[in-house]
Amino acid sequence: MKIKITFSPFLAALALTLLLGSCKEDKLENVEEISGLGGEVIPPTAIDKYITDSLTTPYNIIMKYRWDQFEFGDVTKTLVPPKEEQIVPVTRAVLNTWIKPYIAQAGSVFFNKYSPKTFIMSGSVQYLSDGSVVLGQAEGGRKIVLFDVNNFRVRGMSGYIAARDSANVKQSTHTLQHEFAHILHQTILYPVEFKEIGRGLYQGQNWINVSDAEARRDGFITSYASSAFDEDFVETVATMLVEGRSGWDKMINSIPAGFSVNGTSQADAQAKLRRKEALVVNYYKTAWNIDFYELQKKTRAALIPLL
Amino acid sequence: MKNKYLSYLLLVFIAGLWSCSDDNDVFEQTADQRINETVTAYQQELVAAQYGWKAIIYPAGGGVYSFYFKFNDQNRVVMYSDFASESAVTSKESSYRLKAMQTPSLIFDTYSYLHVLADPDGDVNGGLDGDGLRSDYEFSFNTDSLNTENITLTGTKNQSKLILIKATQEEAAAYGNGGLAKSLLFSNISKYLTYFKRVTIGGVVYEIAVNQSARTVTLNWLVGTTVNSFTTDYYYSSTGVSFITPFVNGSQTITGFTDLTWDESRLSLGMTAAGSKVTVVEAAKPLKVDVAAARRWYQAAADEGGYWFSWDGFHVNGVDDAFKVNTLNYNGTSPYYYYFYWPQFGSGYDAYGPAFVTDNALSLYYADAPRTPTFATDGRIIFVSSGLLGEAYPTSGPAVDSKNYLYDTNGFYIIQLSDNAYDMVSAKDGKGWVSWIK
Repeated sequence: MKIKITFSPFLAALALTLLLGSCKEDKLENVEEISGLGGEVIPPTAIDKYITDSLTTPYNIIMKYRWDQFEFGDVTKTLVPPKEEQIVPVTRAVLNTWIKPYIAQAGSVFFNKYSPKTFIMSGSVQYLSDGSVVLGQAEGGRKIVLFDVNNFRVRGMSGYIAARDSANVKQSTHTLQHEFAHILHQTILYPVEFKEIGRGLYQGQNWINVSDAEARRDGFITSYASSAFDEDFVETVATMLVEGRSGWDKMINSIPAGFSVNGTSQADAQAKLRRKEALVVNYYKTAWNIDFYELQKKTRAALIPLL
Repeated sequence: MKNKYLSYLLLVFIAGLWSCSDDNDVFEQTADQRINETVTAYQQELVAAQYGWKAIIYPAGGGVYSFYFKFNDQNRVVMYSDFASESAVTSKESSYRLKAMQTPSLIFDTYSYLHVLADPDGDVNGGLDGDGLRSDYEFSFNTDSLNTENITLTGTKNQSKLILIKATQEEAAAYGNGGLAKSLLFSNISKYLTYFKRVTIGGVVYEIAVNQSARTVTLNWLVGTTVNSFTTDYYYSSTGVSFITPFVNGSQTITGFTDLTWDESRLSLGMTAAGSKVTVVEAAKPLKVDVAAARRWYQAAADEGGYWFSWDGFHVNGVDDAFKVNTLNYNGTSPYYYYFYWPQFGSGYDAYGPAFVTDNALSLYYADAPRTPTFATDGRIIFVSSGLLGEAYPTSGPAVDSKNYLYDTNGFYIIQLSDNAYDMVSAKDGKGWVSWIK
C-alpha cells in the first residue's frame, strides 16, 4: 500500500508549535559561586599586613607576591616566586627610594594621582634567548614587574657583597624611576627641544649593540637612552635621580677625549648631556612645580644607606 | 485515510520526544558548585593527613627527588627536601594555595625547597640558565586521585609528575629527626678514591656506580663470565635510598639501601641491603674488563676525524682537576677551554693537550703527540710519547703533570657510558680518571 503524504497546514503548524513549545528556555543558573570571583581568600600573614599598612592603605598600591603566572607577560619564560623573607626588604626599598622622596617633594596628591598601582614580584630574573636578563618591566603605566627579588640585598643583609649587590639595588630603583617618568611625560610632554639635542644619533633597535660608554660619547646617558626620544628622557631622569648630582657629574666628566664612532666630540657629548639635564630640571619645574635638584637630593639620600 | 494522518502523528510523536524538560543537565549541580566542592575536598584531604605527605617529583629535566610536606589550613606548608644536605635537615615554611584554574590546582606560591628545582638560575640547581631542571611548582590534580592514599599531580608548565603519599607517624618523626639527612650520607660514595666500587649482597659481588646528578644507581654482576647490569632511578627517603624500580636477582629483592653510615676517616660507606649489613669497598679494576671498549673509544673519534674532550682533565686521589688544568692560560691572554685527545692527528701519532680561547675562537698552541696507542689484549690502552707539537710547551705545571699521568706504563681501562661519553680509568690503582665526551 502506498502512503500518500499530503500537506495539511493546520496539522503542520500544530506539530511545529509543539516542537517549539516543548523545550522551554532554562533560566540562567545561579552565578554567585564562581570560584575565585572577588579574589581568593587567604589568611593574611605578617607580610600581607606590612604591605597593606605601608602601601595599600596610604597609596592604593598592591604588591603582589604570591605566584600568579598570568601577571607575567611571557608565559613561556621560566620564573619562580619570591622568597618570603625578601618581600619586606624589597617593599621597603620601593617605599624609601621612590615613594617617599616624591611625596616629600611633590606631595601625596600628586603622587597618588600618577603612580602605577600594581607591583608584581618575581624571585628570579627573566632570561632572554640572547643570554641577557630582564630586571624590571612595566606595562602601560599601571603595572611594574620587579624581577630578581630573591637576590635583592641591601647593605646590612646577610650575604651582601657591595660590588655585586649595589648595582642590583640601583637597577631596581632605576626601573621605578624610569617607569614613573614615562607616566609623567605621557601626561605632560617634555619640551620638543629635547628631541632635537640628539637628532641623527638615535640608534633605534640597534641600542642593544651599543655599550653605555659608547652611548655616553654620543650624549646619551645609557645605551637604552639612545633607542628613542622618550627612553632618552626617562633614562636621563632615572639616572640623575639614582646617581645623585655628583654621580651624574662624574659620568659626564669621565667621557673620554676624542670622537665617538659617530663623530661626536667629547665637548659636544658633554654639552648635549648638560642641555638634557637643564631641560629635565626645567620640565619638572614648569610642568609639575617640582624642584628637581631637591628631589634628586632626597632620592639619593634614601638610596645611599642601601648601597 | 488512516495512513494520511500517520505521518503527522509520527511528527507529533517525535516532537514529544524532543521536548526535553530538564534533562539537559548531565550533573545535578552547576560547574561552579562542583569545582568549589572538589577544591574544598582536595584542600581537606591535604590538611587531614595528620602526619603529612611524602612526595616524589620527576622533573621534566630528568632525575627524581623526594620531599616531605605538611600542609595546614592556613595556606602554609612545611617541607624537607632531599636535594641538598641543608634542606634535608632544616625544615622551611612557605605558602601554598588551591585554586580552580582550568582544573583544580595546587600552587606553591612563594619560594620553597620545591622551587629550587625549577629556579631558572643555573647556579641554584645545576641546570641551564633560563630552564633550571625544568621542574614545577604549580600542579593540577589528576582526576583519579581524590580519596586515595596517593595523590598524583601534573606540573602545569613542564608536566613534571608529582606523587604525594600519606606518611606514617614513624616516617613523620624520622623526617623531624634528620632521617633524610642520614639518608644523604649515601652521596659520600663519590668520596671513594677508586673509580670502581663493590658491594657484596647475599653472596653476590656487585659493582656499584652512582650518577648523582641524574640520580641513577647501576649494579653490575657476573653470571659465569657474563656481566649483567641493572640501573634504576633512586631518591632519598626518611630511612635511606629508595629504588624506583626494585632490583630482583633470583630470590633476592633489593628495594633500596637503609641504615646508612659514613666513616669519614676511613672513607667507608655502610648500609643495609636486602636485610643484611654490607660495606662498599674499593676496587682497582672493573668486575670484568670490556676488552673492546678501548678500541671503540679510539675509533669513534678517529672515524669522524674528531676528538674527545674533557672540561677538567684528570681526577686523581679524590681531587677533581688534580693537575689544575683550569688554571692554564696561554700568554696571559688566552684562557683554558678544555683538554682534548685527538686520535690520528697526524700519520702515526695523536694529539693530547689543552685548547685555549683567543678572540672568541678555539686555538691550539701546543700539545703532546702520543704514538698510536697500544691496545693490550686484557683491554687496557697504553700511551707512549712520540714527541711534542706546537710551540712554547711549558716545562712544568698542569700540562706536564697531565702528560706524565697519561704516559703511565700501566695504561688505562676505558669504560663506555654512552655513545658520546667514555671514562678513562688508571689501570695502576683505579684512583685516577678522566671523563671524555664529544
